[in-house]
Amino acid sequence: MASFVPTDPDTLEEQRLYTSARMVEVQCLDCLAKVTAKKNSDHHTSIQWSTGARAACPELCRRTRPDGRDSHQACPRMTASIDAAVRSGEIPVGADDGY
Amino acid sequence: MSDTRMLDQGTTPIRFARGWHCLGLATAYDDGKPHSIEGFGTKLVIWKDSKGELNVLDGFCRHMGGDLTQGEVKGDNIACPFHDWRWGGDGKCKEIPYARRVPLRARTQRYETAIVNGQLLIWNDPEGSAADRSILPPELPEVMTDKYTDWSWHTKEINGSHCRELIDNVADMAHFYYVHFAFPTSFRNIFEGHTATQFMESTGRPDKTEGGYSDANSTLKSEATYYGPSYMINWLTVDYKGFVTEVILINCHIPTGPDSFLLQYGIAVQKPEGLDEKTVNYIAERYTESFGDGFLQDVHIWENKVAVQNPLLCEEDGPVYQLRRWYEQFYTDVADLKPEMTDRFEFEVDTTKANEYWHAEVADNLARRAADESTQEPVSH
Ligand code: FES
Ligand SMILES: [Fe+2]
Repeated sequence: MASFVPTDPDTLEEQRLYTSARMVEVQCLDCLAKVTAKKNSDHHTSIQWSTGARAACPELCRRTRPDGRDSHQACPRMTASIDAAVRSGEIPVGADDGY
Repeated sequence: MSDTRMLDQGTTPIRFARGWHCLGLATAYDDGKPHSIEGFGTKLVIWKDSKGELNVLDGFCRHMGGDLTQGEVKGDNIACPFHDWRWGGDGKCKEIPYARRVPLRARTQRYETAIVNGQLLIWNDPEGSAADRSILPPELPEVMTDKYTDWSWHTKEINGSHCRELIDNVADMAHFYYVHFAFPTSFRNIFEGHTATQFMESTGRPDKTEGGYSDANSTLKSEATYYGPSYMINWLTVDYKGFVTEVILINCHIPTGPDSFLLQYGIAVQKPEGLDEKTVNYIAERYTESFGDGFLQDVHIWENKVAVQNPLLCEEDGPVYQLRRWYEQFYTDVADLKPEMTDRFEFEVDTTKANEYWHAEVADNLARRAADESTQEPVSH
């Protein structure tokens, strides 16, 4: 059952733009996790994990505090892998009309 | 077709979120009398039974609709003021004093309960599933010991807004400057499973004095996690001129109708070493006041804005669409959940440019104020 129902069909396209446009696949250099990432600027990063990638990341799997506060940090290896993909030009830096 | 962008206000859901909802401090309900609270489009009745358990039922009797919150606790049951039908905490009618037998179908809506951090939580699910205790908010180990002040607890009714407006704050970096008068210097989000987290560091604006975040002498480190659709724990470290205080803020709500909710918030302050009780309580009250003011700043915006399904974002904005995709899970039948609603998503906003512009604006404001004050100087004769 849908909950918040857009009344304009264009809204679905907006949802797609903001959540998946320009997301580039990045393979972790140290494990089997593969995420998608986007850089709107040097300091900005979006990282989308999948269920499979999350399970493949040994770093995130080690964090099991019941309040979850230890999993609030990014995986440093994935961060490094994304940085490498930026340096090699695979991930372009810069936004496209706000997304 | 014109290039004018239209707001898609959409339609808000009739259903209420699946998950744990907090009704406030458990002590508010444990005096053996029936209590009433609005929630989920109805009224709920809450009472303590002889085993000390708090029970929560729909407040309207399944016989002829009597208001159970105006009834009486008789034994372990709540008795209706209309014809004295007695309802147990399990939702079953236990006794009808004037009847030979109780109809088999005499079962009302009950809410499973949990006590967490001294607060009463209830499980809501339009699909009627059993409560999922594995996703209860965590217990805060030191709160409710003598290391922290007692909860200072407050409620605020919000009308004319769906509670998603409150949730949107999690991804909203820029409103901290405009609405809460602080410079957010660092801003990150992580959404995963049933949790959504915001990390923020901020300092107050020197050109403003109102509200919880605006003190220019204090810097704030804030980590705030929603555990489910409505219960947020906010761990705050406040550095006021080098004097560091740990504050825990609970921000929770219960929807009362399709566009209204009851906001509740509570504050506990870690007692600083070497201060007497009176000073500690004074500090706690000041924080309670200022974070309460912070909510009022949001409330004023919510009461006057419209709902938007298609927000237009700039690159300095937080991940509103991803946050709403996460929030949607609580309004979706379990069978229809999509992985992207719960898959981990990490986001860091670049606040550098924004802060450059904001610092320039604040400097202007201060300069203008100084100029105004010097021209208004009383002229001596
Ligand atoms: S309506 Fe409650 S007993 Fe009749
Ligand atoms: Fe806010």
